[in-house]
Amino acid sequence: MPLLELQQRLISAIFQRDQLAAAANLVKTQGRLNSEQRVGIYRNSAHGILLDYLESLYPVSLELVGTEFFGRAAHNFIDQAPPTSPFLAEYGVGFAEHLAQLPALQELMWIVEVTQLEWARHAAWHTVNQASSDFTQLETLSAQEQAELRFQLPHSAQLLSSTAPIHSIWLAHQTEPYADKLSFEEIDLQTAEQVLIFREHRHLHQISLNHDDAAFLKAVQNQATMNELAEQFAEQLPWLFSIALQNAWLTGFTTTQPV
Amino acid sequence: MTPNPILGCGIGLRFQHIDQILAEKPPIPWLEILADNYLTPGSVQQDYALEIAEYYPVTLHGVGMSLGASDPFNETYFQRLKALADRIQPAWISDHLCWTSAHGWVSHDLLPLPYTEATIKHVVQRIREAQDRLERRLVIENVSSYLQYQQSSLTEWEFITAVAEEADCKILLDVNNIYVSAFNHDFDPCKYLDSIPIERVQQFHLAGYEDKGTHLLDTHGAKVSDPVWGLYALALKRFGALPTLIEWDNQIPSLEELLAETHKAMETQIYAFA
Ligand SMILES: [Fe+2]
Repeated sequence: MPLLELQQRLISAIFQRDQLAAAANLVKTQGRLNSEQRVGIYRNSAHGILLDYLESLYPVSLELVGTEFFGRAAHNFIDQAPPTSPFLAEYGVGFAEHLAQLPALQELMWIVEVTQLEWARHAAWHTVNQASSDFTQLETLSAQEQAELRFQLPHSAQLLSSTAPIHSIWLAHQTEPYADKLSFEEIDLQTAEQVLIFREHRHLHQISLNHDDAAFLKAVQNQATMNELAEQFAEQLPWLFSIALQNAWLTGFTTTQPV
Repeated sequence: MTPNPILGCGIGLRFQHIDQILAEKPPIPWLEILADNYLTPGSVQQDYALEIAEYYPVTLHGVGMSLGASDPFNETYFQRLKALADRIQPAWISDHLCWTSAHGWVSHDLLPLPYTEATIKHVVQRIREAQDRLERRLVIENVSSYLQYQQSSLTEWEFITAVAEEADCKILLDVNNIYVSAFNHDFDPCKYLDSIPIERVQQFHLAGYEDKGTHLLDTHGAKVSDPVWGLYALALKRFGALPTLIEWDNQIPSLEELLAETHKAMETQIYAFA
């Protein structure tokens, strides 16, 4: 049998349980294990590597649903969407959507929102570096440039608008003594939260935003011009700007029309 | 820039230890960087790898080349690996004599090859191409295995020797993998060692396995076992005091515990030549 066909058969068995027998035909029965059990070791081992990875990516989701449930969901996810890239960090997007389909979680969508938050943290961490911000040129803009002035969030910024208090839930599951941490029992699961996540050098920031800051950053993300921001936020604007700049929520600006 | 010498016993760099290593700069002879985790240019991950390489001699160790696969090479993977190697100047780059991908799927696991003349031809050509792309001679590692193919007609030691000779690459002998595969396939690990050409071997790996009753599983999740220390002593006598690396990937211990394993390896070297 050509190598290509042998490899396709074995990898099919790794990601599809019903393909085990077809791959086992390629393998010798020896010692205390038959050929199907031997192929099964590889299925378990490849799944195990990916399960460990998903557990490291979604530690709070894992605690919320429990090891057994998480494991079953992860194994199904791995079979339905095997990795297609050698870059492991690209794997695991879509796990929240996979959980959202599961009947057991239909009344627990806040857990899925926490899973989305954990992916957002991962994505922000892996976003490549950007040059540090420079706002000194702002003062020299022409009137025409001023009209097209738009601000930018960090490239790594993830702005999440959730129906559940995902930031508080996430904090409650950390061992570190964060200042704004509540115990899980103290959290009202009905409270919506707006969360900003971004990476600054080697630090991942995660902030629960108040209503005004969230609306401002949303508008910036939607590429509102300076004039549009002034119209939307009126006399609040200078205050919103200074908060955003102090916290490194804005990292640059453009004076050309977005493409 | 001349690559730093790789001497003595080093450790595989794991993310859990990076901050401590950079803060304390403990005396570690060298580090093996798991290339795949640090390949994205401009990423915070790659910044860490570059910083580590400023202070320690390093090698790059990959799992993603998929040298034995029939799928085309992943262009981005090779471009990024070459770019990282050009910046870091590792003493060498290693990957495994196995395949990880087929069908467009990537298993992220080290899957064994059928040991046949046809496979030798295929893998030799792939290793040559990889060496050309990276502009470096590769070091290939033997993997643990849990199955043997019906079509295999050669032993693993005949296979790896032929591949290394014909591709003109070096060998990273994973002593634990030899022991695990010897147990699983009932062959003599000493015979394996004695069949590998001395001048081809560049480096050793040591790691811990788990005894599953029916087979040994290469988990990299425990201390090196006593029989593997014994086999390592034999390997030292045959191949000399080559650079040795402790791998630990699951239930990762403290840096101190990991370094204690490197000290044990150095003691084994001293006894082997006493
Ligand atoms: Fe190894």
